Amino acid sequence: MAVFEKITIAKAINESLRASMEADPKVLVMGEDVGKLGGVFRVTDGLQKDFGEDRVIDTPLAESGIVGTAIGMALRGYRPVVEIQFDGFVFPAYDQIVTQLAKMHARALGKVKVPVVIRIPYAGGIGAVEHHSESPEALFAHVAGLKIVSPSNSSDAYWMLQQAIAGDDPVIYFEPKRRYHDKSRLDTESIPDPLHKARIARTGADLTLAAYGPMVKVCQDVANVAAEEGKSLEVVDLRSLSPIDFDTVQSSVQKTGRLVVVHEAPVFFGAGAEIAARITERCFYHLEAPVLRVGGFHSPYPPSRLEDEYLPGLDRVLDAVDRALAY
Amino acid sequence: MTMTASTANAQRFREFKMPDVGEGLTEAEILKWYVKPGDTVTDGQVVCEVETAKAAVELPIPYDGVVHELNFGEGVTVDVGTVIISVDTDPGAGPATAPAAVEAPPEAAKAEEEAEPQGRQAVLVGYGAAPSSTKRRARKPQPGVPAQPEPVSAALQAELNGRTAPAPVAPVAPVANGTSAGTAGRPLAKPPVRKLAKDLGIDLATIVPSGPDGIITREDVHAAAAPAAAPAAPAAVPAPVTEAVAPAETGVVNAAARERRVPVKGVRKATAQAMVASAFTAPHVTEFITVDVTRTMKLVQELKQDPDMAGLRVNPLLLVARAFLVALKRHPEVNAAWDEARQEIVYKDYVNLGIAAATPRGLIVPNIKDAGVKTLPQLAAELGDLVATAREGKTSPAAMTGGTVTITNVGVFGVDTGTPILNPGESAILAFGAVKLQPWVHKGKVKARQVTTLALSFDHRLVDGELGSKLLADIAAVLERPKRLITWG
Amino acid sequence: MTVEGTAQRKNARGSSKRTTAKKATSAKKASPAKARNSGRPDEAEQDQLVQLLTPEGKRIEHPDYSIDLSAEELRGLYRDMVLTRKFDAEATTLQRQGELGLWASLLGQEAAQIGSGRALRDDDYVFPTYREHGVAWCRGVDPTNLLGMFRGVNHGGWDPNSNNFHLYTIVIGSQTLHATGYAMGVQKDGADSAVIAYFGDGASSQGDVAESFTFSAVYNAPVVFFCQNNQWAISEPTEKQTRVPLYQRARGFGFPGVRVDGNDVLACLAVTKAALERARTGQGPMLIEAFTYRMGAHTTSDDPTKYREDEERVAWEAKDPILRLRTYLEAEGLVDEAYLASIDEESEALGKRVRDAVRAMPDPDDMAIFENVYADGHALVDEERAQFAAYQASFADADAAAEGN
Repeated sequence: MAVFEKITIAKAINESLRASMEADPKVLVMGEDVGKLGGVFRVTDGLQKDFGEDRVIDTPLAESGIVGTAIGMALRGYRPVVEIQFDGFVFPAYDQIVTQLAKMHARALGKVKVPVVIRIPYAGGIGAVEHHSESPEALFAHVAGLKIVSPSNSSDAYWMLQQAIAGDDPVIYFEPKRRYHDKSRLDTESIPDPLHKARIARTGADLTLAAYGPMVKVCQDVANVAAEEGKSLEVVDLRSLSPIDFDTVQSSVQKTGRLVVVHEAPVFFGAGAEIAARITERCFYHLEAPVLRVGGFHSPYPPSRLEDEYLPGLDRVLDAVDRALAY
Repeated sequence: MTMTASTANAQRFREFKMPDVGEGLTEAEILKWYVKPGDTVTDGQVVCEVETAKAAVELPIPYDGVVHELNFGEGVTVDVGTVIISVDTDPGAGPATAPAAVEAPPEAAKAEEEAEPQGRQAVLVGYGAAPSSTKRRARKPQPGVPAQPEPVSAALQAELNGRTAPAPVAPVAPVANGTSAGTAGRPLAKPPVRKLAKDLGIDLATIVPSGPDGIITREDVHAAAAPAAAPAAPAAVPAPVTEAVAPAETGVVNAAARERRVPVKGVRKATAQAMVASAFTAPHVTEFITVDVTRTMKLVQELKQDPDMAGLRVNPLLLVARAFLVALKRHPEVNAAWDEARQEIVYKDYVNLGIAAATPRGLIVPNIKDAGVKTLPQLAAELGDLVATAREGKTSPAAMTGGTVTITNVGVFGVDTGTPILNPGESAILAFGAVKLQPWVHKGKVKARQVTTLALSFDHRLVDGELGSKLLADIAAVLERPKRLITWG
Repeated sequence: MTVEGTAQRKNARGSSKRTTAKKATSAKKASPAKARNSGRPDEAEQDQLVQLLTPEGKRIEHPDYSIDLSAEELRGLYRDMVLTRKFDAEATTLQRQGELGLWASLLGQEAAQIGSGRALRDDDYVFPTYREHGVAWCRGVDPTNLLGMFRGVNHGGWDPNSNNFHLYTIVIGSQTLHATGYAMGVQKDGADSAVIAYFGDGASSQGDVAESFTFSAVYNAPVVFFCQNNQWAISEPTEKQTRVPLYQRARGFGFPGVRVDGNDVLACLAVTKAALERARTGQGPMLIEAFTYRMGAHTTSDDPTKYREDEERVAWEAKDPILRLRTYLEAEGLVDEAYLASIDEESEALGKRVRDAVRAMPDPDDMAIFENVYADGHALVDEERAQFAAYQASFADADAAAEGN
């Protein structure tokens, strides 16, 4: 089946893993509950049945161990695709990711490669208990040696994961869990965009909205509402956080003169800070307003009954748009 | 790297410093020397025993050679990092100046990455902290503003490119990669300028930028805010006058309220720099000649009716230009440039004739390329275009580069003459004063004739008095008797 | 670059008797371990310590482990330990002279490293910590290659796949997981290589080590965990890391653990061989605790006199690994003065070679900062590289500096 008119992101990821595993026998899937259960979000559903326990591995409950052994397997020539069950639980593996996975290639002066992909369902909006709604991407993007990407739709989810697996660098692939069941079109025979290229999701003239992962849909909704108010917003789906495609954002801002960056992660030290600084440098004479950022607050992610107040939603983003346009 | 005597010395006489024996202590006592000057030692041989607060440690020397000097005796406590022994590693090389006992290590020693970095105290995990540099490393001189690919402020660019001697220009603020001027027609301005425009109610899109890379400057905004100036008006349109203050007490001037400060920027700044560069680089001499130009003025009137000159701008300036060109043909050595950097005089066999023009932006000097070979109609056409373009503020950078000589028409202001300053890089500038009816001795009788004064400033490095005088005399001679255009042309 | 191979290397693989891998719960002739571990809960068994060569240089038997080596092989072990110790001493001296930023000395641990190192097959894979210079020697990694990271010119100067010897890992215990994963990969390949992971007594407290025990046990991975218990983790003694002898930990995870006299090269060789054989034949992981002593400091700027007694060190001197083997070799007439002198000569030559190599080591090029950050490249790294190059070129002495390089 080449074209899925409406496929969920979760299913697209499943198809993507299948495609990678069929193409390369060295690709392994490992993590907690990924095998028999097919993953707590069913993203790896059916893979163990089709590819066997040797290639789809239920691991002990030990994130550092999962990533550490994946590194060892990669050194032996395998291409492990590791799942960390939830964003909030990646931290035991942070040491292995930052001190080993990120640095080993450089440490060996290029003589070894560690092509490990770490899939992490991330971000909030699913009414969960503590530690299941985190957006820790900045903590990883800040580390040289890692590549960080996050798809916002089914087609990107399908292609970007395969590209990440095929590459020789360690990649952290952040899956927007609140969008797992969102459906969109996928053509498995199309030619995908390069992995780290940003995409203009919607063209506009008055202001640029830059976002990634779960916030892209919110920004699309924002643009629709703004259009009714006579404002033309351009929406940029960043897709990649390391590297960031600054050129695409720059072109957009040189056209519109205004930028608002949106992410669930806290504004303080978030990806928006890097984008704001760099775009200000590159577009200083084009800017009509300071770069504004909309994101989480500098406080622990709240109980689920408050998360709608914490997360940047339609109205908070529109507020920032209004403020930027008022300059 | 050339081998200086001290470098060679340092390589021959190797000094060994009291090492950090690894316990974080800063000094040690020399307990016992096992060698003395003149002894042969080998790499790794223990030469002394030192004692720290904790233990006695034997120190091996890392050189082969002959002991030259022991710097301290037994029983002396020495700081870590101090030279304690020097070894002549090339004893067969004959006498050489040995380093004094307490000589500071030569520069070469550092370059060889020998022994521990100065002043570092090893820590558990490495060399330890190094003292940081307190002296700035010299940068290369910033290059002159490079030629910009996209049209920048014409006036500014002209002034900057016209110079041959590199003037100390503050480098244009490095614009980060990808900043293209006016992408999709967006006006470019930094935030304070945008605010100013907004406060003054000016649409940035209507402003012609004068900053580099097409950036709108504060001055541009002010200029746009003031009413449009007459084409020949001098530059620097005043900013809106501040609120009138109540008249001060008699005899007291309220300076604060009655002074207006305008930042020196853009064309004004560039012009000033060019003037300074020119005035203080080329020794200027100015010579004057007063000449009866009645015949030329009559010729002007005739030419205005001439069908060959129909539609073209015919005026005295045109003929002064022609006279200048003819005179230059007779004295081509004037048409040259002084290349200070290469210590050469560049004689040019083309004349790019600059015409000083006052515009709302300021003084600019576009030039007519290869004016010497143009026919009079061509010269008139180009002169006309040049002036019109300058008035519109649209003179291209190319038009303002490469000039060899210039005419400045001070006469339009009614001024008799002046002492013009050379356009940087040029050798001569002719000031054409007002033409006035004056009593003149004509054919032995005093008559009212049309008289003007010509002033020629020239670069005395290139043009000596005789040459300059002859040139000026010839220009005057043509204007006095325009038929010379035919015989001398 | 490989070190001059010794005959020993070739033979060690083939000639030793295959030992049976019985679970060793008690030893008949084990000498009691130093009573450092106090407060053991009702543990009836005596502290195990497999030994085949006493500190006095006498050969003894052990019910579970034995070794049968030729004279040449025995001399080879002696040579390995002497040269390793010499290299280590040279590196320490070089640090004193400022040629290295620091050095982690293995003084006293030669037998544990040479013994286990010589038990390995070429196709086995080693994951060291940062002190296994003796194991590096056995794997054919030229000693000078180890020095780059201590001098500060690289983070590890050799190709791990050339000698199947991974780079030194400074994050404590981290490599035990890499070793386990590598072993799981070997399993998937259906190969019979084994993997050995080295770590210290301090590292045994790290979570990653416990997780590697878990993973290796659950997946029955072909990995040998070799713990050099040298009694000290910088200034902290082993009783700060554990309440039970370390080798007994393995039991809790479901695989065997054995403690061997870490200063007995023959016992280390025998036990490691047995453990590797177990792993190769699909019997899973094993923990070896080599009971030894860190005669030197943690690294060259450490001052052990601040936290341990001199008497302790003196007591361990009597158990020196090289001395006991030499005593045995001399008593058996397996070495003569000529041979010993030749080893000393070889030792001096190695020392000089190391000194010369270190002093001649060039600093890396400035632009090396931007190399190998990513296998497939990264736009920001490219941008920064270009900017930095332009910045470097903007200095007045830039051209002269470039020429001088």
